[in-house]
Amino acid sequence: MLRSWPTKTAYVLGGLAVLWGLTMACNKDPLRDHNQVENPFIELEIPPDFPPLNASIHTNWPTRYGVELGERLFHEKRLSGNNTISCASCHQPAQAFADNEMQAIGILGRKGLRNTLPIQNLAFMQQYTWDGHKRQLESHVLVPIIAHEEMNSSILEVIDKLRKTPDYPDLFRHAFGDTSITGERIYRSIAQYQYTLISANSKYDRVKRGENEAFTESEERGYHVFQVKCADCHSTELFTDQSFRNIGFPINTHSLEAGRARVTGDLDDWMSFRVPSLRNAEFTAPYGSFGQFPTLRALLDYLDEGVLDAPNLDPILKNNGNRIALSNQEKEDIIAFIYTLSDTSFIRMHTY
Amino acid sequence: MKTTTQYLVLLLMSSILFSCSKTSPDPEPNHLLLKFHHTFLDQTIVLGDADSETATEHTSHAGQVHRFSEVKYVISSIRLVKSDGSTMPYHINDLDVGAFVIDLSRPETWEIYLQDIPGGTYQQILFGLGIPADFNVLNQEQFPKFYAKASAHDTRMMWEWGTGYRFLKIEGFYGPDNLPLSIHTGSTVEGTEDEPDTYTPGVDAYRDIALSFPIGAEVAGSTPQVIIRADFDHLLSGDAFKIYLSEENATPNIHTAVNMKQFVDNVGGNGTTNKQGMFSIEQVIN
Repeated sequence: MLRSWPTKTAYVLGGLAVLWGLTMACNKDPLRDHNQVENPFIELEIPPDFPPLNASIHTNWPTRYGVELGERLFHEKRLSGNNTISCASCHQPAQAFADNEMQAIGILGRKGLRNTLPIQNLAFMQQYTWDGHKRQLESHVLVPIIAHEEMNSSILEVIDKLRKTPDYPDLFRHAFGDTSITGERIYRSIAQYQYTLISANSKYDRVKRGENEAFTESEERGYHVFQVKCADCHSTELFTDQSFRNIGFPINTHSLEAGRARVTGDLDDWMSFRVPSLRNAEFTAPYGSFGQFPTLRALLDYLDEGVLDAPNLDPILKNNGNRIALSNQEKEDIIAFIYTLSDTSFIRMHTY
Repeated sequence: MKTTTQYLVLLLMSSILFSCSKTSPDPEPNHLLLKFHHTFLDQTIVLGDADSETATEHTSHAGQVHRFSEVKYVISSIRLVKSDGSTMPYHINDLDVGAFVIDLSRPETWEIYLQDIPGGTYQQILFGLGIPADFNVLNQEQFPKFYAKASAHDTRMMWEWGTGYRFLKIEGFYGPDNLPLSIHTGSTVEGTEDEPDTYTPGVDAYRDIALSFPIGAEVAGSTPQVIIRADFDHLLSGDAFKIYLSEENATPNIHTAVNMKQFVDNVGGNGTTNKQGMFSIEQVIN
């Protein structure tokens, strides 16, 4: 192929290459290693019918070494003030990146305000955390690092520790072209790793894809009850419509808790929380914004028996006597269906 | 063609010459001293705990007696306006030099020296109560000094969950039973409505303050003093709202962000028709 190029084009290209070389020589970055490694973009397998990607990923598309660094940082306890807590301390891969505490436990055993959320399929979410105060993963990473009850550190403290840790300068060089360690690079690499955590290989997915698997009778019944009684909120392939709703769950009386109203200052958002995804819910008990319910059954019983009234209680509940009536059989079936959203291959892939 | 080139060379050379031989007509750079005087109406505030005998007692419009044990607030984006209308921004893009945490328990923070400002007669001061949205991101790498001031253990002018600074922090007591009073403000809004994908609706607690001087502050040779009164009577009895304290609003609680806007409008004005809030010029001393 090369031979057939017209000579003129080759000259022009050659000239351009020389020019480029000269320009590079002028801008020589002392940190840039001459053994620069190739760092290709990763191809993400986007499951069919999933909601659109968060636009932020298009300015921070995962790369091979960006993700490698992000994963390492995700498990890095040096992110915390006393080197005891990593992201994975609460977002435990074996628990579908959540934990089994009612409220997150951070540095020195300090208790957080809310229940740890699982963090799969975040690339497809537009609202992060229980109250949606962050819209991009990149801008959220700093929060746990500096929060008093989470890691209680600061970004300069973290950068300083990473600089002194063997491996990191090289990991940053592979991911970003030179050994410089910055907050932005830490945020971007952890977000890149999170973008790759896609869970879409549950029994539900396989049944839907027609992969020679079928629901049991109970799962099948559960699927149909779910469509009628749950899917208004737990919709889409993520099983959340990403809206914020007050559904009258028992209230966390901590003075800092107002649900989404803490962010918006709008009374209509009082004690409203983002509808959680139900994928892998089997592994993430207890449930509710501060772990009010030890089991899915306890949660469904509560919805059946009647929820707390409030001026901004979700209309779906308000128009149904503040409850979602469910028979015992329906509850059992719904839970059987929710268990079909468990993706053990996803968990195995990320567990060491 | 040749002539054009010659003209161009001439133009280039002259511009280099001019830029090198700049003889500034401005007088010697000088300083201006801002002094903040914290009062409740005309009474200078004295902080104190619940059992303090020296703490000043204040009575709100609603008749509620209250006092403060801690008062801190953040000032940034300072601009001085000359009598000819020209504006002199004071390090408005550098929080390390241009933003300040004023702490009523530390008198050294009540005085701000604005250094090396051009000479002339100044008629007005503009400043921000809080930190403008673009800089309200807790970027420690960019502004390590201000971050350190705001995050110091005894200061805590920071909202970790919202990755923003606190703009105002008041602790104290109210009523005959000395119930806790705890008022914190800061912005929770992120992005703009025009870009819905990245917009987080929330409270904008930043307020631009504009205060005109009764006489011009003459910056030339000597250092004029501008004494700014911050009258905390406005906190509960401001132009915007007359606030009655109760369990609903005296401490951070379920209605935090909703009530926060009322306190913000009272101390910082509503940003449009009222750009003074609790601030006024007490005196200009040349």
